[in-house]
Amino acid sequence: MDFRLPPESVELAEAVREYLAGTHGSDVLRRLDAGGNRDLRIWQGLVEMGLTGLLVPESHGGLGMRLLGGALIARECGRACLAEPLVDTALVAVPWLIARGETGDLAAIAAGEKLVALPHTINPWVADGEGAELASVDPLRNLVAAPEGAGDDPLLLDLGALTSAAQLVGLSEAMLDQAVAYAQVREQFGHAIGGFQAIKHKLADVAVALEFVRPVLWRAAQAMDDGLASAPLHVSHAKYAATDAAYLAAESAIQIHGAMGYTYEVDLHFWMKRTWALSGAWGDRNFHYRRIEDAALGGAHPLGPQHTFA
Amino acid sequence: MDLAYTPRQQAFRQEVREWLAAHVPAERLVTLERKEGFDQHVAWERELASGNWGMVTWPSEYGGRGLDLIEWLIFEEEYWAAGAPLRANQNGIFLLGPTIMEFGSDEQKARFLPPMARGEVIWAQAWSEPGAGSDMAAIKATARRDGDHYVINGQKTWSSRASFADWGFGLFRTEEGSRRHKGLSFLLFDLEAPGITRRPIRQLHGDPGFAELFFDEVRVPAENRIAGEGEGWKVAMATAGFERGLMLRSPGRFQATAARLMALLRETAERASPGLREDVVRLWMNAQAYAYNTYQVAARIMAGGSIGAEASLNKIFWSELDRAMHRAAMHLLGPAAELRTLPDGRANEWLEGYIFSLSGPIYAGSNEIQRNITAERLLGLPRVGAG
Repeated sequence: MDFRLPPESVELAEAVREYLAGTHGSDVLRRLDAGGNRDLRIWQGLVEMGLTGLLVPESHGGLGMRLLGGALIARECGRACLAEPLVDTALVAVPWLIARGETGDLAAIAAGEKLVALPHTINPWVADGEGAELASVDPLRNLVAAPEGAGDDPLLLDLGALTSAAQLVGLSEAMLDQAVAYAQVREQFGHAIGGFQAIKHKLADVAVALEFVRPVLWRAAQAMDDGLASAPLHVSHAKYAATDAAYLAAESAIQIHGAMGYTYEVDLHFWMKRTWALSGAWGDRNFHYRRIEDAALGGAHPLGPQHTFA
Repeated sequence: MDLAYTPRQQAFRQEVREWLAAHVPAERLVTLERKEGFDQHVAWERELASGNWGMVTWPSEYGGRGLDLIEWLIFEEEYWAAGAPLRANQNGIFLLGPTIMEFGSDEQKARFLPPMARGEVIWAQAWSEPGAGSDMAAIKATARRDGDHYVINGQKTWSSRASFADWGFGLFRTEEGSRRHKGLSFLLFDLEAPGITRRPIRQLHGDPGFAELFFDEVRVPAENRIAGEGEGWKVAMATAGFERGLMLRSPGRFQATAARLMALLRETAERASPGLREDVVRLWMNAQAYAYNTYQVAARIMAGGSIGAEASLNKIFWSELDRAMHRAAMHLLGPAAELRTLPDGRANEWLEGYIFSLSGPIYAGSNEIQRNITAERLLGLPRVGAG
């Protein structure tokens, strides 16, 4: 029993965080919003860090990491509000292709030459499609109608839900950081507003929520890595809890930004809108709640203190 | 990351489970907030000690088993799942014990820890004063040095367990005219010492769980001071950290409550609204999340890490979770929620638990204080009152 994150995954995630903090700032988000939603230089940087091959086996030119490491990277993609379609290809499609034994495209994916977005019946629309047909609230998310006959593979659903939950955690952390930074500099009544308890307590509540979502996320990723029968329950728990935390983080952040937060000029809106988009993707809150209720009340999952890791 | 228990851990779980199954009292004990119940709980402390289960994480030289934190979590899971009684000596086990281990002299460790482990001395805490609750630096009670003794005068209040316990610990002002957190010392005292008057306070549930203590020229040997004279604040902050942190509220307790709550939901399913049903399932998820978080912190501490201001996040979460679970149960019980004894003759444990749960967000530093600590020390926001 050792519930700590693997150091090599943490180190890689920190490197990705630094890379994205340096190259994918709000100026980039605004430029992409104004024209075109990709920046191939940033994409190439991600490829060079090995992220497109993160979950690809070493025999096919990848890093051979497990989903837990993938969840850490998805969290960084959320934190940076990344516009590049890394998660769908590298963290959802790759493990699904591997599970089905379809390894033909893996080398091309790892090399950053091929993008894959898999349709699923739970998503009426597919993100990052060619030629956006539908306007998403998230200006960086190109939606196209899902093709007819999209499958309903349960593994694919869990992969999408897990990585969405991870991105929601990263988005929430970034929104908390932005709200804290703003509360430190914005003055009213002669004081930085962050000195007022009403502001402090609101931000503390977001910190509490996130503190108790993160281990649920790691638990879900590890359950999938370990192939547990209870993995769908843990994934749904993570998606449900991450959705609630992300809405709390977004609403708290805009409230603390005040009227400034209600403008397109302050960056916060990119993160909020990604939050709303991902909350509904790969099974919305209600869908995941139903799965949890069925498992917990239906007796499929043993309850009680002796079953924490059962 | 490896979430499988080792064979050794599994064997340990089995050992704990079997011992508890053979020893946990079949009859529910009377609440330890009453003298009769307190005595029953003390007897249970001694029963636990007879099996060497009193202080499982303590070093064996002080009466413990030297177990690591993961084994402690396993022990606690089994303890609460078995429906074992509340610990009468929790102030000693979880607060004073670790404090003495960190700051006490070898002589003090040998003198105070083994009797604590054996359940022979039950400890009360004497932190608060009428004017010093969450603002503990406002303490006024004095301890004047007189040769090799201190002479204590003043008043403490809301002292948990002090109505019936044997010894107490608290902070006293040893430097005349000192202010705030300076000039305080951490002293241990016999509650039977001449000059101490205990006035039990009836709590919300009607029982005298805590007490006011009045000190009138009470003589305490100087050797009962933990750490140096004037270093009391530093020691007390460490104790408060233990109180908010991992040890006092193990996840097994809240998971056991969540499991009972889910069972109550099944019993009352035909009355429960969809909203209430979702509340309950969500609270069950939160009890699980609390357990995961604790395992993660425990693994980090075992690898050499520490727990700092995160203890405040932990305290906010468990205390509000506990209250919310009991509130949900009150709603599930509907009209029966008001009964002290249910129609089937059982005590209404949910009502008692709900009343008790209301104290969680208040004691050990109110949750408002914990939110300030979180905002200032973890998020880096300006201190209260500062611009």
